[in-house]
Amino acid sequence: MSKKVVFTLLVVMGLMLAACGPAATPEASEAPATEAPTEAATEAATEAPAVPEMCMGAQPGDTVTVMYQWSGTEEEKINAILAPLVETCGIQIVAESTRDDAVLDARVQSQPPDILFWPNISPLRLYTDRLQNLDAVGANAENYAPYWIEMGTVDGRWLAIPVKADIKSIIWYSPAQFELYGYQVPTTFEELEALVEQMVADGNVPWSMGMESGAATGWTGSDFIQDLLLVQQGPDYVMGLIDGSIPYNDPGVVQAYETYVRWASDPRYTVGGAIGTLNTSFLDAIYITFAEPPQAMMVKQSGFAGGEIVSRYPTLVYGEDFDFFPFPGAQGMQGGADFMMVFNDTPAVRAVVAYLTGPEGAAAWAQVGFDLSPNLLATGQYADPQLAKKAEALANASGFTPDMGDTIGAPFGEAEWAAIIAAVQGEDIPTVLQAAAEAQAEALGR
Amino acid sequence: MASSIMKQGRLVPWLYLLPALVIMFIFIVYPTFNTIYLSFLDKASTRPASVNCVEGQSCWGVFENYHYALTNPEMVTALRNNARWLVLMVPGTVLCGLLFAVLADRVRYESVAKSILFMPMAISFIGAGIIWRFVYYIETGSGEQIGLLNAILVSLGRQPVAFLSNPAINNYALMLVGVWLWAGFCMTILSAAIKGLPSEVLEAARVDGASEWQLFFQIMLPMIMPTLAVVTTTMVINVLKIFDIVFVMTGGNFGTEVIANRMFTLIVTDTGRSMAIAVVLILLTVPIMIFNVYRFRKQEEMA
Repeated sequence: MSKKVVFTLLVVMGLMLAACGPAATPEASEAPATEAPTEAATEAATEAPAVPEMCMGAQPGDTVTVMYQWSGTEEEKINAILAPLVETCGIQIVAESTRDDAVLDARVQSQPPDILFWPNISPLRLYTDRLQNLDAVGANAENYAPYWIEMGTVDGRWLAIPVKADIKSIIWYSPAQFELYGYQVPTTFEELEALVEQMVADGNVPWSMGMESGAATGWTGSDFIQDLLLVQQGPDYVMGLIDGSIPYNDPGVVQAYETYVRWASDPRYTVGGAIGTLNTSFLDAIYITFAEPPQAMMVKQSGFAGGEIVSRYPTLVYGEDFDFFPFPGAQGMQGGADFMMVFNDTPAVRAVVAYLTGPEGAAAWAQVGFDLSPNLLATGQYADPQLAKKAEALANASGFTPDMGDTIGAPFGEAEWAAIIAAVQGEDIPTVLQAAAEAQAEALGR
Repeated sequence: MASSIMKQGRLVPWLYLLPALVIMFIFIVYPTFNTIYLSFLDKASTRPASVNCVEGQSCWGVFENYHYALTNPEMVTALRNNARWLVLMVPGTVLCGLLFAVLADRVRYESVAKSILFMPMAISFIGAGIIWRFVYYIETGSGEQIGLLNAILVSLGRQPVAFLSNPAINNYALMLVGVWLWAGFCMTILSAAIKGLPSEVLEAARVDGASEWQLFFQIMLPMIMPTLAVVTTTMVINVLKIFDIVFVMTGGNFGTEVIANRMFTLIVTDTGRSMAIAVVLILLTVPIMIFNVYRFRKQEEMA
């Protein structure tokens, strides 16, 4: 018991250290990037006098300054992905890691980084005039789904492309349980609805929808409803809710809430009914789905659920005891993406851009497994089976929407959570959405 | 010689006061005025609050943040809840404290009883919130009820109750935690006041044939009235700024929002509104402060 406590403490402290790391140690983050190329530079100088084609004319010793939010293992992964290019061309990547928009802004105003990787496209609007057209600096547009290009285009100029993405539109289940009852993984929303009814008819509880998360209670519901909107209305509709062009009490939203509440407030459809949804923590909601015996058949949660299942039940095996499938019938995926934007056009910058948007970068990305690469050439090259499956879902998607809860900002986001809680508690859906729509109008109306 | 003493007489007191005044200014006066100033600006504290006005809706100009603080539905819930907290928790803590103080005064194991009752005060409020989350915990799946209250209910053959998410009872469940936390504090102070009563008076009353009830209501209570007033006003202020319990246990969800939690939630995303709420809270506590100071003065005059 005491060992366990000590271990937990260590883990918590480790997490805290990891969380504190990035802002405090920008120098440390440069170290690995600067060491590697010096070796490579000497190699390149002795072995290959002719500069390879992938270097786009960059000379050994050329530097590329980059800025991103990644740190720790994330930073190790991006360095590993760039390593083949860095070694071949002898270029040097000088990285700065920050999560602070203000730091980014100060740098852009004084001495912008050559390349910026950012987890949203807000810099696109802030620095439109300073950014380089991506097709002019060697990016390969043909390796990306059209919606990605569209998302990164402002006034006809293509300025941003995602290099990394992760999807949240997934449902976790136990293949063993599905086999036991003869259930098939659904591929359309109608099949999902039929499967849910079948489970209820068999006396199984289909969903574990607990969403208690302290002051943030509601976000799990927000994710679920966004997936329902992606099924029933599509990605453009969700983007309309995010930018405020579609009011949050639109009939389409009402429909999604009705579907959600039908499941989330009925003890036959979800563990504990409405009380269970409101009082069960989102982590417990994952655990009880894979407990012995399982209390539910399915839980809709992001990729982190896989790690939670393994840490709680170390004997469970991915693919046998737990697995996931993409939200059936979703016309687009929900998730997060990191975008690449270019401030300066140099041969070394072109080399990095061409590499990441081309075949070599796609392969390196997939093998390192830094979440997913939206580069279509990465599909099928992933070493990790979970990533491979997510990559397939992403490649088949016809759109991508950022997680609404993370994007819309606190006042509207809180109003959304309040609406979800009230709806699960049985209040009239159009009435609760009215309040959320007012918050949306206030947040996005001007 | 005399003039230098006069000079010293004017200056030296101020010199002694200086550190206190400087600290008061930096940590109380300046923040207060800055809060008031910020409450008239928008969420980023750059433009006047009137930019928040939505066309076609009523607008209070630069008082727009106060418009929010006094009329927004979430804020109305918070204000109403704070009023409920006041009405229930202040008498709850003071009466429990008084009862314990009087009863503990009459038992042999007084110090043990008082220590136990005072113990909750030694727990951090966040810790107390977490403890009570477990007490109120409801298991909604097929697992066992591990929450104390629901385990008792189920063992008596009753249905488990969602104490924290059921809007009909959750506010009272939270207030109970507040009373549990603060009753010990009230008891300690009131007990000290009772101990300080001159025994001759009480004995004289008993000799004159007063019943224990008469003794309590007609002798003890009037004599500890000043202390009772101090305890009550302290509790009123404590309850007005109640935050920890609500933040930890429900996060202000399920209709349990209170003023201070609203202020905390908004401080990052909408500084103007958060500051306006802070000012409302200050304005609510000021009359109580004035009352307290007035009482102090009166007592000093009497002494």
